[in-house]
Amino acid sequence: MYSLLPLLSLIVPFFAGTLCLFMYPFRFLEPFSKKIEKISLLLGTGLTLVIVLSFVQPVFTNEPLETPILSLRVDMTNAVGVLGVSLIFFLTSIYNIKAEGGGRLKPSLYNFFVLLLLFCMLGLLLSYDLFGIYLFVELAIGVSIILVAHAPGKLSPEAAFKYLIITAISALFVLLGVLTIYIFTHTSNIFAIMSKPEMLNENPRLILLVAACFVIGLGADIGLVPFHGWIPDVFPASTPAINSFSCAEPIALIFALYKLVYPLYTIHPSPVIVSLFFGIGLISMIFGILLAYPQGDFMRMIAYCSIDEFGHMVFAFGLFTPLSFMAAMFYLVNGALMKSGILQALGSVLISSGTRNMDMLGGLVGRMRKTAISYVICILSLVGIPPLSGFYAKWLLYNAVYDFLFPRMGIFASILVLILLVCISMVSFIFLVRSFHRIFLGHSLEKSRNTVEVHWTMWLPNVTIAATSIIVGLQPKILLSLINLP
Amino acid sequence: METIVFVALTISTLATALGCVGRDTRETVLLLSIQASTIGFVELLYCLFDLIIGLHIEALIDFFATFAEWFSCAVASPLIIYWGMVKTENNTDQPVIGTRNAAILLAIMTLFYWILGTWILSPLPPKFEAVPFSAFMFSMSVFLMSTRKDALKILAGLNMAENALYPLIAEIPLGLIPFMLVLMVFVNVVGVFIIMEAYREYRTLKITKWKCIG
Repeated sequence: MYSLLPLLSLIVPFFAGTLCLFMYPFRFLEPFSKKIEKISLLLGTGLTLVIVLSFVQPVFTNEPLETPILSLRVDMTNAVGVLGVSLIFFLTSIYNIKAEGGGRLKPSLYNFFVLLLLFCMLGLLLSYDLFGIYLFVELAIGVSIILVAHAPGKLSPEAAFKYLIITAISALFVLLGVLTIYIFTHTSNIFAIMSKPEMLNENPRLILLVAACFVIGLGADIGLVPFHGWIPDVFPASTPAINSFSCAEPIALIFALYKLVYPLYTIHPSPVIVSLFFGIGLISMIFGILLAYPQGDFMRMIAYCSIDEFGHMVFAFGLFTPLSFMAAMFYLVNGALMKSGILQALGSVLISSGTRNMDMLGGLVGRMRKTAISYVICILSLVGIPPLSGFYAKWLLYNAVYDFLFPRMGIFASILVLILLVCISMVSFIFLVRSFHRIFLGHSLEKSRNTVEVHWTMWLPNVTIAATSIIVGLQPKILLSLINLP
Repeated sequence: METIVFVALTISTLATALGCVGRDTRETVLLLSIQASTIGFVELLYCLFDLIIGLHIEALIDFFATFAEWFSCAVASPLIIYWGMVKTENNTDQPVIGTRNAAILLAIMTLFYWILGTWILSPLPPKFEAVPFSAFMFSMSVFLMSTRKDALKILAGLNMAENALYPLIAEIPLGLIPFMLVLMVFVNVVGVFIIMEAYREYRTLKITKWKCIG
């Protein structure tokens, strides 16, 4: 159905961001800008969330909304992603009210870039044009880098520089893939490419090359192994609010990767493409948990844990079956939400205690009760403990993996892979629960003696995410009814 | 491949190779500008001929789009990096593996791409004829980025890698060119901003002296 709603959901954050930007050159508006900085961000993200919620009804009745002239479309494949991104941005905007203490960017510029990041994320999810996806990827990278560099201190510029170099080179691979498809098919619309498969089918090797370009290009932006170099530096270097905002990025980037590779797979269903996703996913999981386990800095621990989570998501998407799509989408949105909750809780601990070192913390549960409870719910959900939402994500994933592997590789290999996945989850369970113990339980150490519970604007979004995990865990159909086969 | 295209691509490849062993930042930025100027020159020339012969509005639009693309690659981006150098410092260094080793590696790479271009990729369709050159320039730019310690030279290398895709970028729809240019400039501005912030913190552009990278 023709609709301007997808376009409107892009215009609102962009327009709100541009309005904030207008205050930047006028010095006499600076006091006013400072007064409304947090509220204007909240309004921008809130309004976007309202528009996104208006999608739900038509999408729920399986009626896609399209703005064909810009190749924008929202349907049951991307609706949950759009909702997840908007929700993370809205909740983090509430968290941002007290958590954001200023940095290199002036408030108006900061708001502009945060809203521009939201614009890019929604654009990546809604666009079905190859060049559109490339432009949003490149812009999203630039904006994320600026937001990383915003954090005060010595760490942020060098982390941002590392991030810039790795992701800017990788974006060229995305461009190379996009250009190759365009030169061969003379179209950049994904649906048009899928409707004329003969143009690409003549050269199967080229399809594999393009798929590899997309995996390398977007893999580096997502932070998959072996292109993950920037992640462990960027997490500790960024402000807690930025870390939480950036949790929405994998939803958009991993879905964009799927959108780019899925047409290639339907045209030429090669096992090489599946193996590429499968291999990178598995390596990322193993590498992520092995390096997350010994970390003493909780931000670095979550950074490596994120690599493990990205691995799970890419692994699931790479099976290219309807069930795996459903599992991956559920996992993607749930993982991003829970990680946002975890990072908000850890950000609150950092702001309150002033340290990221878990060895210097302990016994915070009495002083930061709400933060502690929401943290433990989010980590348990992330590792898949019932009855939380993460359990369904893992359950669906295991089902999809078994469903895919059993007819192809037999029962032995399928069970072996499932055992490996369960072991990976168990290791994540151990280091995440141990982090809870080190930060919140035990005796109060030096750094944790003067800590107090953070302002309600900081724990409320956190508690909301934890509550969402319980509600979706008890009623997973809330999310599942919005996901359908591509 | 037409002779003029071959000559232009050879000059830009040579500029990229010299950029890999260039000593100071000023020199690298100059070579970046030469690489971008020559690689975009042929396309610009064709558009100019079309404009002179055809004298129609499409040719005019096409010419302006190509000129804007050429200008931002050959003038705007190098100027942004140059401005960064003026605001910080003009470092003199050599590749971490030494200039001699770098030259040997570059010679091996040249040989490899010459074989690749001549024997393996020779039946390519005309639009892909420049691919071996692009791939070679791209590899050399990545080589430059991985063997230098100076942040501005690394950024210049990133631009060289981007310019290497120019023969393919020329194929994109006209309406997208302004967005691509804005993004190209935006990434450079972001890069220079970050480098200047890092310079303010550490008083050096050598990334090995920065805490977590070094």
